[in-house]
Amino acid sequence: MTRFIESTITFPYKRSLGPVVGAFMTALTEKQILGIRSQDAVLVPPMEWDPATGAELPHEFVEVGPAGTVESWTWVVTPSVQHPLDHPFAFAMVRLDGATTPLLHAVDAGTPEAMSEGMRVAPRWRGTREGRIDDIICFVPGEAAETEGEDTGGAAEPVTRMDYLASITYRNPVPEAADRATEASREHRLLGLRCPTCGRVYAGGRGLCPVDAIELGPDCEVDLPHKGTITNFAIVTPVPYPGQTETEPFVRAFVLLDGTDVIIPYSVVIELPADQIKVGQRVDAVWASPAEETDEGGGMAGSFGSLLGWIPNGEPDLDDPDLVNRIF
Amino acid sequence: MSTLSNDIAVIGWAQTPMVRHTDKSETELLLEAITLAITPLGLGRADIDFTCLGSCDYITGQAFSFVSNLDAIGAWPPKRDSHVEMDGAWALYEAWLRLQEGDIEIAVVTGSGRSSTGDPALIYPMEMDPYFLAPLGADPLTFAALQARAVIAAGIADERSMAEVAVRARGKGDVESLLAEDYIRQPLRRHDVPPITDGAAAMVLATGDRARQLVERPAYVTGFDHRTECHNPSFRALGDSPSTRIAAEAAGLSDAPVEVAELQAAFTHEELLLRDVLGLGDDVAVNRSGGALRENPIMATGLCRIGHAADHIFGGGSRALAHSTSGPCLQQNLICILEGRS
Repeated sequence: MTRFIESTITFPYKRSLGPVVGAFMTALTEKQILGIRSQDAVLVPPMEWDPATGAELPHEFVEVGPAGTVESWTWVVTPSVQHPLDHPFAFAMVRLDGATTPLLHAVDAGTPEAMSEGMRVAPRWRGTREGRIDDIICFVPGEAAETEGEDTGGAAEPVTRMDYLASITYRNPVPEAADRATEASREHRLLGLRCPTCGRVYAGGRGLCPVDAIELGPDCEVDLPHKGTITNFAIVTPVPYPGQTETEPFVRAFVLLDGTDVIIPYSVVIELPADQIKVGQRVDAVWASPAEETDEGGGMAGSFGSLLGWIPNGEPDLDDPDLVNRIF
Repeated sequence: MSTLSNDIAVIGWAQTPMVRHTDKSETELLLEAITLAITPLGLGRADIDFTCLGSCDYITGQAFSFVSNLDAIGAWPPKRDSHVEMDGAWALYEAWLRLQEGDIEIAVVTGSGRSSTGDPALIYPMEMDPYFLAPLGADPLTFAALQARAVIAAGIADERSMAEVAVRARGKGDVESLLAEDYIRQPLRRHDVPPITDGAAAMVLATGDRARQLVERPAYVTGFDHRTECHNPSFRALGDSPSTRIAAEAAGLSDAPVEVAELQAAFTHEELLLRDVLGLGDDVAVNRSGGALRENPIMATGLCRIGHAADHIFGGGSRALAHSTSGPCLQQNLICILEGRS
């Protein structure tokens, strides 16, 4: 039975708006909707370039609407968390008065029977506006624009940037080989997989040989030594970003296991300060004690499980100029 | 020493089982698809001169996800490889261009996606215009419904003909009972929209004599073109598909009749619109495979269309058309013409 894990990836984007979209968004805070002139047409939403020819458009803005006419629509029976309204609504192509092209937005009409091509709609503005397309909560039937809540007025400064939070939850299968490697780590075993074709050995629970492109099952498992040599390393100086928990420079080392061709990459080192690490240093594996066990395993990520990292073992350094080339 | 563009042929292809949820990783799917595609030709991974993979990080949920997919092609010693963040049909286009340089003979292209990894209804809105569309959560069903309305208004489709497409594609149901169902996005009902499918496909291209040595009847690529339209549907005539029309002209569709057409129509009205724009008469067998309405492995759906068209040539057919698309409301369209030689 395959196990799945859920993970959520979040990208807090900060987008520059540029001269045309920025003018549009700034105007929204004043409860005005701008189009841009392109020869005889007025394009809404405004573009920097003519969609038909690619020609750069002069910044000649035209106020349109606020009311408009529904040119096309569809009814959203079950809104998603991303939608502007939490009850059934229409998405519609609304051609604002004075515009040549339609703007896609929501219409809060109650029922699909209330929707029709040619119906008149006007914006429902948010009381506090930031300069985003959803400063218009939605459109409502009729000619009169409305404002929800207290109107806090337009932006003091031109709007030049827009935040957009992209967040997606994924559900991925965990390869059986990864689970088996994690399980072995609980017994303080470092599991490898030997390819029957080329003889290469891989650590980390990757259940296939990337050279021969074949799957590697339990019959390919081998125990790997707990002793190795640092071949290369990086000292990471953390910069702040959402989710970053490190504050001080830290080491990630590459460890070549004795008597094998296996590199354990991006390894955590223990009792080895960043200013004392060097290529050729001899290290031993450190495993989590029962008290240190957590569901997330040790300091090493993923299927290394209870492996906390690597500690200098006091043996003399190896002096091999080729070591530094080994990061794979 | 370049290779003539019309002396490059599809010589084989394969796909994984197409399922709603797969337990396999995308890399494992590709491993299977590539092995299935090359083994019957007597080829091994060492025989492949160039690979181009089509996949999408947004679907996979991993930056540079195509890097781990390289594990499926056996990229050692180092190989010539490329990637498109597009359907595998565009990977095929790149491989077709690359083979024209004439220095290599065999290319493998793939398309792969595990749509079940995330929720497509929530992922695709994030790929839309970031200023005007993404903040509203404008989703694929909404765009499809608006285009369906435009196609109906243009007199190209109606709800009945759309239901007929669904019945034919899936080989089940009857039009009357389908039309009795509720709308999920008016004018679309459940039967008008594609399934969510996990799967991968791999295709083998070869040039000149090598193609003729490997298979009895190569499917020669005699026309290949793709065109795109504006990203924002506000500025497009949704009751038409001018990019499809231009690509078909450039690919030489009108030079001779085709017997079959495989169209990447994920929604029923798209098939009717594409038939109309391409001028396909009743004598052309459209989407005998069931098309994207039956199986819709995003990022491989278009490549599978080309595969099914190639199967027609392998089976003795003369000329076949395959179509692939990308973006909301058929924004970008690709036309591939395959021919057999006697």
